[in-house]
Amino acid sequence: MTIEKRPNATADKTAPSQAPQVPTIERGGGPKLPGPPGVPGTERFRLLAYVKQESMVRVDKRPDETVLTWPHLLRAEFLMASLITMLLVITSFFIQAPLEEMANAGNTPHVAKAPWYFLGLQEMLSYFNATVVGVLFPPLYFIGLMAIAYIDRSPYKAARDRKLVWIFFLCLMVGGLLVTFIGSFFRGPGWNWVWPWEGLFFTL
Amino acid sequence: MSFLVRAVRESALWRSLFRQPYPTTSRTRALAVMNNVFLHLHPVRVKTHAVRYTYTFCLGGISFFLFLALTVTGVYLMFFYVPSINRAFQDIQTISNSVAFGDLIRNMHRWAAHLMVLTVFLHMIRVFYHGAYKPPREFNWAIGVLLLFSTLWLSFTGYLLPWDQIAFWAITVGTQMATYAPLASTESGFILLGGIEVGQETLIRFYVMHVIAFPLIAAILLVVHFWRIRKDGGISGPV
Amino acid sequence: MSMQHYGYGEVHGPRAGEMSRRGFMRRMLGVGVGILSIEFLAGTLAFLWPNIREGLGGRLTVGTAASIATNYPEWTEGLAYIFQSKIFVVNVPAAKARVEGEGEVSQPVGDPGTDVSSDIPAVDRSVLALYRKCPHLGCQVPQLCDQSQWFECLCHGSKYTVLGEYRAGPAPRGMDRFVVEMEGDTYVINSGEIEDGPPVGTVTFDDRDSQLIPHCAA
Repeated sequence: MTIEKRPNATADKTAPSQAPQVPTIERGGGPKLPGPPGVPGTERFRLLAYVKQESMVRVDKRPDETVLTWPHLLRAEFLMASLITMLLVITSFFIQAPLEEMANAGNTPHVAKAPWYFLGLQEMLSYFNATVVGVLFPPLYFIGLMAIAYIDRSPYKAARDRKLVWIFFLCLMVGGLLVTFIGSFFRGPGWNWVWPWEGLFFTL
Repeated sequence: MSFLVRAVRESALWRSLFRQPYPTTSRTRALAVMNNVFLHLHPVRVKTHAVRYTYTFCLGGISFFLFLALTVTGVYLMFFYVPSINRAFQDIQTISNSVAFGDLIRNMHRWAAHLMVLTVFLHMIRVFYHGAYKPPREFNWAIGVLLLFSTLWLSFTGYLLPWDQIAFWAITVGTQMATYAPLASTESGFILLGGIEVGQETLIRFYVMHVIAFPLIAAILLVVHFWRIRKDGGISGPV
Repeated sequence: MSMQHYGYGEVHGPRAGEMSRRGFMRRMLGVGVGILSIEFLAGTLAFLWPNIREGLGGRLTVGTAASIATNYPEWTEGLAYIFQSKIFVVNVPAAKARVEGEGEVSQPVGDPGTDVSSDIPAVDRSVLALYRKCPHLGCQVPQLCDQSQWFECLCHGSKYTVLGEYRAGPAPRGMDRFVVEMEGDTYVINSGEIEDGPPVGTVTFDDRDSQLIPHCAA
């Protein structure tokens, strides 16, 4: 961390009277501390770090461009929350959640589908040996996802610096999306191929 | 009128609730975030790019908000739902037809659940493409994957509760897929379903997991997830 | 215990390779907590382990050959007797005759016999108890298909012979089965124990090509 050079940094604290026109807390206990000087919104908070000369860690971090959480972040959050609430209420008002007849173990539907997020897996099960898919996929999926962060240790973040990982993940996601789509919209009775316009066998 | 407002604002009760006036200066704004237990989840200042919609698309925030919305609507539904194979289906019909706003609440719960699965997935993809899982954020990525699993599992357990044909066969097919898993082929299905087939035992198991066990687990993971964002140096930098 | 270190001066603690009493206690505490956690986990699993009292899971009395034939006369002509809607009770000699006669049975088999032991190969057994849950994804398998004389799951198109052997579709193996026992001349199914169906490729009977015969499930 760079230590900003503020020769009067200590003076500020010990002798508040030296800094005029400093807003102070209007109420509340404790000593009256001065606020940072300058026009509100443009002042910068000082970053202090004590780094030993012979330290192994090379500190080389500059203060980031920051804004105040109140109001900037909270405004964004509030806006998004309102938007989602509105979307949810309107959707729920107009679109009815599905409900078929009561569960009956003796009445097998012509096509039994898992919830949509598992339809990719179900589609894969129709391609490969069930044991292979069942043994390989669920653990590979979650453990593999977790392991990504421990395998890919390169510090680069831009796409051009990590083309391989970028494309690998893209293939994974597009592949997953594809099989999920096929399982959702292109599979009918007997898990046979059905075009969506021939009949939609999909419930949310 | 203004006298009344001032009387309220200067009352002991108000001042015990809010230890400072409405934040208008940088200092009071900082204090507002620090002093409020809910707001102090945030740092006082955030990086400028973090508040850009096009950086995060608010996906994590939306997921968390949906989690809250699902908790509220879920509690509402619990007042009218009994997890019994003889009653569950009728209870859902009652909620839809006889309870005031019951239909709306049920729809909201279902659509929010589907939306949450989607936003959690998108959040993961966003984080991946920003390289935000890289050191020092590896552990938080792992927590995130566990949260993805919790989300899927919450959605899956909730899927059975209406006890209609969609629910029954989706869970039958879904749990059968789980029994392909290594180590415990039939045993994992057995303990999951509470028996050999989807039935009353399954319904109560899924109900307990859906309304208390996994919401708690997810909440704990969320706490760690949020705490870790700050401990790992705030939101990741732009690419 | 204290030593002189060239850089740090006086240092306390055990020499390298030795463990202090405090370190030992701390390690033992860790081991204890670990063991307790494992016990807690195992106890949780035991607590949650299903305790089946009724329905599938217990010993189910099906009846004598005569009583089944009275309940469901088609049983003597090779169709499976659907027991408690969950199990196909297959009259093996009659079923074989039905397949060989392409759906026609000239000589109905009223009493298949008492050779039910699981040591006997399925073709030679008298009675098979096939679990109607498709080993693919758990759909309920319907009664024998008229066109093919096979069990054909409508959900995802898995196909099995009348003895529950895998022939086509996405299933990983043949139909699972229960152990059948004799109590006098009464057939009893031990539904607490499910045997995995025969692996893909098992052909002991009915080797017709799936491509060449008509089906109920596409």
